[in-house]
Amino acid sequence: MKPKVGIFGFTGCAGDQLMILNLEDELLDLVGALDLKSFTMASSAVEESDYDVAFVEGSITTPKQKQKLEEIRRRAKLLVAIGDCAAWGGVQASCNGILKVEEKMREVYGSDKVWEIYESKPLSAYVKVDFVLPGCPIEKEEFLRAAASLLRGDLPEAVDYPVCVECKLRENGCLMLEGKLCLGPLTVGGCRARCPSLGVDCIGCRGVIEGEARIKSALQVFREAGFKPDYVRARLRMFAANYPEILEVK
Amino acid sequence: MKIEVDPLARVEGEGGIEVEIEGNQVREVKFNLFEGPRFFESFIKGMHYEKVPDVMRRICAICTCSHSMASVKAVEDALGVKVSRQTELLRDLLIHGEMVESHALHVFALALPDFLGFPSVVHMAQKYPKEVKGALQLKKAGNLVHNLLTGREVHGMNERVGGFATVPSEEDLKRIKQAMEMTREFALLSVKLFSSFQLPDAPKSENTFIAVDPGKRFGYFGLRHAASDGASWDVHDYRKYIQETTVKHSRAKHSSYKGKPFMVGALARLKLFGDRLEGEAKELFKEHQSKLDYSNSISNNLAQAIELVHSVDRCISDVEELLSLGLKKEKPVEVKPRAGTGTASVEAPRGTLIHSYRFDAKGRVVWADVITPTAMNAANVDKDFRVAAPRLVGNQKELERVLEIIARAYDPCISCATHLVRVKRV
Repeated sequence: MKPKVGIFGFTGCAGDQLMILNLEDELLDLVGALDLKSFTMASSAVEESDYDVAFVEGSITTPKQKQKLEEIRRRAKLLVAIGDCAAWGGVQASCNGILKVEEKMREVYGSDKVWEIYESKPLSAYVKVDFVLPGCPIEKEEFLRAAASLLRGDLPEAVDYPVCVECKLRENGCLMLEGKLCLGPLTVGGCRARCPSLGVDCIGCRGVIEGEARIKSALQVFREAGFKPDYVRARLRMFAANYPEILEVK
Repeated sequence: MKIEVDPLARVEGEGGIEVEIEGNQVREVKFNLFEGPRFFESFIKGMHYEKVPDVMRRICAICTCSHSMASVKAVEDALGVKVSRQTELLRDLLIHGEMVESHALHVFALALPDFLGFPSVVHMAQKYPKEVKGALQLKKAGNLVHNLLTGREVHGMNERVGGFATVPSEEDLKRIKQAMEMTREFALLSVKLFSSFQLPDAPKSENTFIAVDPGKRFGYFGLRHAASDGASWDVHDYRKYIQETTVKHSRAKHSSYKGKPFMVGALARLKLFGDRLEGEAKELFKEHQSKLDYSNSISNNLAQAIELVHSVDRCISDVEELLSLGLKKEKPVEVKPRAGTGTASVEAPRGTLIHSYRFDAKGRVVWADVITPTAMNAANVDKDFRVAAPRLVGNQKELERVLEIIARAYDPCISCATHLVRVKRV
């Protein structure tokens, strides 16, 4: 029997679901191997079902979304967070703890009482997440490899080394030495150090390496290199503001 | 009786359609946009100019390059940055590549299943494998432009304020040209298909159109907006012409022009500037004049198909021009922060997009404003619904089907928008 799969999206840009659709060469074979019960971005055929694997993109920001996520969790054997919004809350979480939702709403919509909105949080704030595919957006090859393991019932291996490892393997010079604030040392690898290889400092879109990233040491290095505290804080918060040690940075 | 399409499928985003019917009267009909708000204009404050596009392009995945370009150009406008001819050409190639990727996805995978009676492109592939595979290869050719110019398909990093961090190689550009030439026939196929369909005529009503004026040649960048009533204005003055209001049923603010809804997107661009198309796209535009019904918003699908041909050909000619000029390994222009305001508007696949920022003397954002095409179109979708629903009120299944086709024809953005119709008795 084909594995039953659901693909869902909450608050975000839908870029992770789009990366799945960007598997132009593999898409038809991939979908053919699955019993795809729900993927509303691509299909209006939606079935009420349990899922062997549910892939969930986006952060949770409304009461309705929280309810829907809890339902998906109840129906899914494995729940996989795909992308930075689901993993960490996304760029929309970057001012969590600094700027209240009500203030943001007043500014953008002219009133703070338009809707009930939550501060942007990762899925794990509400339900158990079995595996995280990081990135803004996810790497489509990593998704394919992970999907292959998950569909056999195995949890894939998570990347546990920083972007710097791959950057060294590509023999790039260190951008910190060129006076750029690069988040490579704190950020989950698996992107083949794409941005530093183009000469662009890492902005941390794959999130921090949980439990391994030395935020305090990094702060010291960045400040010694002459970067201003508010600049460093804004950079650290871009994709991982909900990481406790980053949330605390003044 | 209350009819709800929730979620509307095959669109980018979380939304729905709601119709309230009393007896044989349509009491209310609304295009609901329920995507959770993210407040980009608020949390971007304080961000250093150099990183602003890296955040703002994440408003949308399907039109990430449009947001990237609008953001980069608004920053450059504020800081007085002038870029090289090579950078301009690479950006033109990039935005046309995005149009190929996005239009191929929308025309074949999201809109076409409606007209051929399938729930999705995958279901469609079982009957039309060659066509679907070809369409996916055309989409891939568009993504190749993203990959080689920005670093990846979604949220690239290589396009910077002042230029490109790393200029692509001649080999890269030749690969783009080859991929476009090999898949061009599927762009032509999309025109053939969408010009052959009989469109539901329920939404027929007058439309006002707005688009960025591309100058002499048809395209997606420009410094002025134009409207179909003959008015035009410098993009810096957009707030005098485009008003925004918050409405309870939509997290996208509704836009109006002279107090009325308006339409942006491929149909608007062809209406206003179709005579500036070149080559085969121009021929197709002339040939299908009678099929492009400007009072029927569903014609937007055919307009996108014609733009698909234009965009494929423009990618090829941009590559040729870049190669004939000789690629220079230049770095982005040096930028000095200064206080000031900057605005830029580009045509995203689904319509006019505006980014506007104000910076302090250190180059940090103090104010930001973004108007997305789906937000501009939302009030016009409501207008079409109000026209169409009473004409279909006797046939509920047809009502649901047609309202979905209308919403989808606007190619609403997953993140700027939407979701299907289910019926609730009240």
